[in-house]
Amino acid sequence: MRYVLSYLKSYRKWMIIAWMLMLIELFVELWHPLLMEKIIDNGVMKNDLHVIWKWGAVMVATSLLAFLSGIANSFVAAYVGQQYGFALRNALFQKVQSFSLFHFSQFPTASLITRMTNDVSQMQNMVFMSLRVMLRAPLLIIFGVVMALFVHVKLALILLIVVPASLAFLLFMMNKAAQFFTKVQHILDRVNSIMGENIAGIRLIKAWGRSLYEKTRFTETNQALMTRTVTVLRLIETITPVLLLVMNMAIVIILLIGRVEIHTGSATAGEVVAVINYTTRMTAALSIFTFVTTAFSRAKASGQRIANILTAPVDMLDKDKRDEQPIEAGSIQFENVSFRYPETDVDVLRDISFSIGAHETVAILGETGSGKSSLLQLIPRLYDAMDGTIKVDGIDIRQIRQERLRTAIGFVPQDILLFSGTIRDNICFGMDNVTEEEMIQAAKNAQIHNTIMSFPEGYDTMVGQKGVTLSGGQKQRISIARALVRHPKILLLDDSTSALDVQTEAQLLQALKSYSCTTLIVTQKISTAMEADTIILLKDGKLLAHGTHEYLLRTNELYSKLVESQLGKKGISDVKSTT
Amino acid sequence: MLRAPHRMMGVKENKRSVKENAQTLRRIWGFLEHQKGRLAVVIVMVMISSGLSLLGPYIVGRAVDTYIIAKRTDGFWMVVVALLLIYLALSLSSFLQSYWMIGIAQKTIYAIRTELFGQFHQLPISFFNQRQSGELMSRLTNDIDNMSQTFNSTVIQVISSTLTLIGAVVVMLLLSPLLTAVTLLIVPIMYGSMKWITNRTQMRFKEQQRNLGELNGFIEEVISGQKVVKLFSQEKKMIAQFLEKSEQLKQSGFWAQTYSGFIPKLMNVLNNMSFALIAGVGGIFAFKGMISIGTIVIFSEYARQFTRPLNDLANQWNTFLSALAGAERVFEIIDQDKEEDDEAETIDLPAVRGNVEFRNVSFSYDQKRKAIQNVNFSVTEGETVALVGPTGVGKTTIIQLLMRFYDPDHGQILIDGIDTRRVKRSSLRSHMAFVLQDPFLFQGTIRENIRYGRLEATDEEVVEAAKWANAHSFITKLPKGYDTVLQPDGSGISQGQKQLLAIARAMIAKPSILVLDEATSNIDTMTELMIQEALERLMEKRTCFVIAHRLNTIQQADRILVLREGTVVEQGTHDSLLKEKGFYSELYYRQFKKDAI
Repeated sequence: MRYVLSYLKSYRKWMIIAWMLMLIELFVELWHPLLMEKIIDNGVMKNDLHVIWKWGAVMVATSLLAFLSGIANSFVAAYVGQQYGFALRNALFQKVQSFSLFHFSQFPTASLITRMTNDVSQMQNMVFMSLRVMLRAPLLIIFGVVMALFVHVKLALILLIVVPASLAFLLFMMNKAAQFFTKVQHILDRVNSIMGENIAGIRLIKAWGRSLYEKTRFTETNQALMTRTVTVLRLIETITPVLLLVMNMAIVIILLIGRVEIHTGSATAGEVVAVINYTTRMTAALSIFTFVTTAFSRAKASGQRIANILTAPVDMLDKDKRDEQPIEAGSIQFENVSFRYPETDVDVLRDISFSIGAHETVAILGETGSGKSSLLQLIPRLYDAMDGTIKVDGIDIRQIRQERLRTAIGFVPQDILLFSGTIRDNICFGMDNVTEEEMIQAAKNAQIHNTIMSFPEGYDTMVGQKGVTLSGGQKQRISIARALVRHPKILLLDDSTSALDVQTEAQLLQALKSYSCTTLIVTQKISTAMEADTIILLKDGKLLAHGTHEYLLRTNELYSKLVESQLGKKGISDVKSTT
Repeated sequence: MLRAPHRMMGVKENKRSVKENAQTLRRIWGFLEHQKGRLAVVIVMVMISSGLSLLGPYIVGRAVDTYIIAKRTDGFWMVVVALLLIYLALSLSSFLQSYWMIGIAQKTIYAIRTELFGQFHQLPISFFNQRQSGELMSRLTNDIDNMSQTFNSTVIQVISSTLTLIGAVVVMLLLSPLLTAVTLLIVPIMYGSMKWITNRTQMRFKEQQRNLGELNGFIEEVISGQKVVKLFSQEKKMIAQFLEKSEQLKQSGFWAQTYSGFIPKLMNVLNNMSFALIAGVGGIFAFKGMISIGTIVIFSEYARQFTRPLNDLANQWNTFLSALAGAERVFEIIDQDKEEDDEAETIDLPAVRGNVEFRNVSFSYDQKRKAIQNVNFSVTEGETVALVGPTGVGKTTIIQLLMRFYDPDHGQILIDGIDTRRVKRSSLRSHMAFVLQDPFLFQGTIRENIRYGRLEATDEEVVEAAKWANAHSFITKLPKGYDTVLQPDGSGISQGQKQLLAIARAMIAKPSILVLDEATSNIDTMTELMIQEALERLMEKRTCFVIAHRLNTIQQADRILVLREGTVVEQGTHDSLLKEKGFYSELYYRQFKKDAI
């Protein structure tokens, strides 16, 4: 929390101004009952109209002063609040952009968004309010009691009991409610997640005829939500009536004592009215207190969530000693590389060593979970290897500036991510100096140009929510074009042709040959692998074999089994006969 | 270059006709009706508390006249006791009104949620095909939350504010029409200045919402696309774009907050002014003997009591209207046409042998383009049928018709000679098991997810099915084994492993008819080999429909249906079709020849 508040430092001057303005308001509010006392005792009781006019005018004038400082306070508080929110939001986003993929796996997307929007506005509101009422309410209560005592000790004595007791009750209840609220929020999340699941999985539920099962599951949670919500809301609703009752009782008692005191002449009517007036003002302040404590506890939770992100250690920073030479050839060496995902204890890659020359094409084959995608992700340093070294052009990639390394790599991930925008935006993603010809060439090579041209708006067709729905294969090819347009030195295809039909895939692979780059293709299809210069076979995170198709067919049993399963016995004999 | 998806959520439009609002209210009333009695009690409580809140100051004012000004002493203690009782009753009644109202409100919300949830299960699949589930979801959760909050407090506040307002004015008029007129002078000033402020804030708040929505969308996209942003080293550009949007939000937020900050200050100064006015003018009246001092006390207290509800009413009314708009969106979904009910004379199928026949079946999703046309084929029990053809020829449609997600426009689908339209949907589907394109798994343990195929399956049967699907070995490698909880976003296990679980889920169901929709395309060849082994066991004596891209899988099918542009163009075994030298052999050689080179 303190860390998050430290972002307020640069607005210190403005905050002091806001508080000064707030103090003027507070001063006026505390002074008014005293003025009333004067009007009643010296004016009304003595039938002195002049006194009434004089102090009446002062009251009106000071009210206006308080109003004006209130308006000015609004401006300043809003300014500080918004600037603060702005600074926090930006700091968060910049921090998040420096995160590695490991961090992203730790913070779900939805939670990151909440932190950047909801939590920031909670903090912002807290700051805004703290410059306006948050301090005013407690100060009003403290000084209200002091002033009331100053007016008439005996009358105000009751306040010394009632006010602390009410405050204690209030804080106790708020604390309780906060605990309950966390539980309610928890169940609400559960209800919403079941609802979401049911919408997303509706086909399956219908197919299996599981509506009743789902309804039972939902009803239970929904019922729990109702009971808990009712409990917590009822708890909160006791606060105001109890506070009002206590404060009203206090007023009746003050009136009773006041009557006696007036009779004995030790108090004036004006003094009684003034003490009662302080009491009613404090009652109002107490009800603001509920509001302030909720806002504060919310802000505290939000502040914690924001601080979690801002203080999260950043890994994979570029070292100072950086190799600035551009990546020219694109050869890749793995030297005894082992890798496991952070905070897991299974090695997904174990002691992998191989070497790929510049402009070679290598296919990576293996079962699901054998480590193919993980291996590919290490090259652009989406993750760092635990052991061993990966070299590009003979240089340890940890010595290369990340941006430079990644610019040299064209990566087509398995899960295709397109951004909402036009197809042109997506292909030219992040490049300002792409010519029309370059873009079209990349699209042609990715075998998607004709498809794009068949859309009415061509390259300006919108994709994503507002635009056309693309098939998996079309998305894959756009994503390939996006990698190709950058003329990468190293091209990494992570099972990126799975949705393409055989013919298109063959044309694509043919077109790739016109690029002078080192290519790694993760694939399930033998037919694709056969196009490569060499094939790397992975099993359980270990490198099983590395060689040409013919070599592997002769020496590796698993490989020949794979070939047989996909191409049939005839396939093998055909291959053998052609080789 | 990144554009945020357009959000309808942020900006709430309140421009709806009175008639629409009345209609929505009537719908809500439908949910409240059986709680009529309790609701009446709540309203009585609101009346009592509003009355008491007016009675308190009145008695105080009268007491001032009697005991302070006139210095009488008789009946003083009676008044004190009366006052104490009034305050006690006031607190009690206002507690009770909320206490009961919360119960009513939450029951109603519960009922609406339940009905909505039930509706999801009755909507036809086409409803979900047309909508983004995320959007649907956020709309529902927000709208219902909004309704819940409004019901809890707004309803009571609107009623009690109105009652207090009317009551205060009536009593004031009875006491002194002239002073009432003076007191009410403040109302037009308040109205005018509030209007001035709300005109400004509403605009700013809308703008702020819009900017916030845009920023939200931007963050969402950048974060879910983070891998690509990183791979293409676009972090700096993203930050620059973010700063721009953040700045816009700051600007609109500043003005919205500043203007709305004026409201309490304005209320305060107006209260003070009206107090000064009442005290001043009242003092003069009292001087002339037109009213008593006690009346001034009563007026000053009432003036405070009605400026507050006047201010509240405007606010509450707005939240009330936006909650109504939300309610309407929820009802919109509840009112959607349901999946057609099973026809009146439907039957349960106790057992299915697995003979399937399509007779002249035609179907179109949009009444314009036929998805499939005049499809004829028949499958005898235990046969494995592969559906083959390029994307979009109607393979999925055939499966969806078989499952009765849709009904054919023309023709009949028969199972064991019975028209499926005569069979209850639930009964029909209970004889089938599916491995669909998306291996959707639920948040819950692996065990629960496998058991989803047959709810009464024992733990042993779950393990057995997992072994058959070759999922057992990876499951036991997980730290918590079968009790591993799968997260809603599907993190934790790989796509292939999800497929294996989906297959285990199908296996445990022991269906008569098995449907595999491209189920094998995401699994590596080694695993696929093992799956095929297991599937062969499963397919024994069962009718099986397979949609697969790889011809190798299809070679083993008993029969192949070759589809082209929505019709079955060829059928037969792999060998017989090759001999025909038709479309199938063309497809086959295109792949095989290339593979062989």
